[in-house]
Amino acid sequence: MPTLSRWMIKASMLYMLVGFTIGALILISKVYPEYSSVWSLLSVHIEVSIFGWIIQLTMGTAYWILPRYLKTKSRGNPRLALVMVGLLNLGILINVASYLNILNSTATIIGRLLEVGAVALFILLHWNRAVSYNM
Amino acid sequence: MPRIARVFIKTGLIYFLASLILGLAIEFNWLQFPGIVPLFWHLLMVGWITQIIFGVSMWMFPGRTREEGFKAQLWGWLTYIFLNMGLLFRIVAEPATYVAEAELWSILIVISAVSQVAAAVVYIIELWPRIQSKEQRRKQRKKKRQKQKAKK
Repeated sequence: MPTLSRWMIKASMLYMLVGFTIGALILISKVYPEYSSVWSLLSVHIEVSIFGWIIQLTMGTAYWILPRYLKTKSRGNPRLALVMVGLLNLGILINVASYLNILNSTATIIGRLLEVGAVALFILLHWNRAVSYNM
Repeated sequence: MPRIARVFIKTGLIYFLASLILGLAIEFNWLQFPGIVPLFWHLLMVGWITQIIFGVSMWMFPGRTREEGFKAQLWGWLTYIFLNMGLLFRIVAEPATYVAEAELWSILIVISAVSQVAAAVVYIIELWPRIQSKEQRRKQRKKKRQKQKAKK
């Protein structure tokens, strides 16, 4: 498994743990309304569970498992892949910081743009790897 | 495919169908019940998507134990039990809390919440050491072989 996939998969697991924990607190607050302030974390719960956990895990696994280029045996430009991981995680963290009011609410525009950039790079890196080697 | 992966995937398929039926029920006023929307989303994202991710990764990621059985695949089976206990308790208790005030529902909700977090923790315990490079795998295998030789 390449280093980049290992980073992405391990990061996705940490995001999952955070997402599940916040989700559990929100669920508990439904029966104990005195803890209803945790509802302010709903956007963080959705962001880390969908982008941090599910999307990041699928991207990391695809980077590892899709066929490599026949001639070079590589997975494409490693620098671009590194930028892809950076953009995705920076986007998630900016969005989370915005939801927690650490950053301005408009920061989510930057966060989403970074995520779009990461997905565009993901497509660029993987488009030609979705191939069949059958002649 | 190991038994644990098959069980995860088949359970996931049932949740997939159940979640889409709930999604359909949301469209009809007379079929709705309290708490149906969060239930729909969680059956879809946890019951289906997360469940198949868990099952497929336990099968496809390197370093799995070939031996079948609860003891041999302890963390995997605990993940399955905690995740599905959490989901089932939620399915029963969440709508019930809207219609009947009973301590039992609150207790089930708390168990459901804790159980799902426990599933995440034991899944990480199972999978984290298996996220390795080829080099790390080779070294681990070598160590294993050396240990086995030393035993003999």
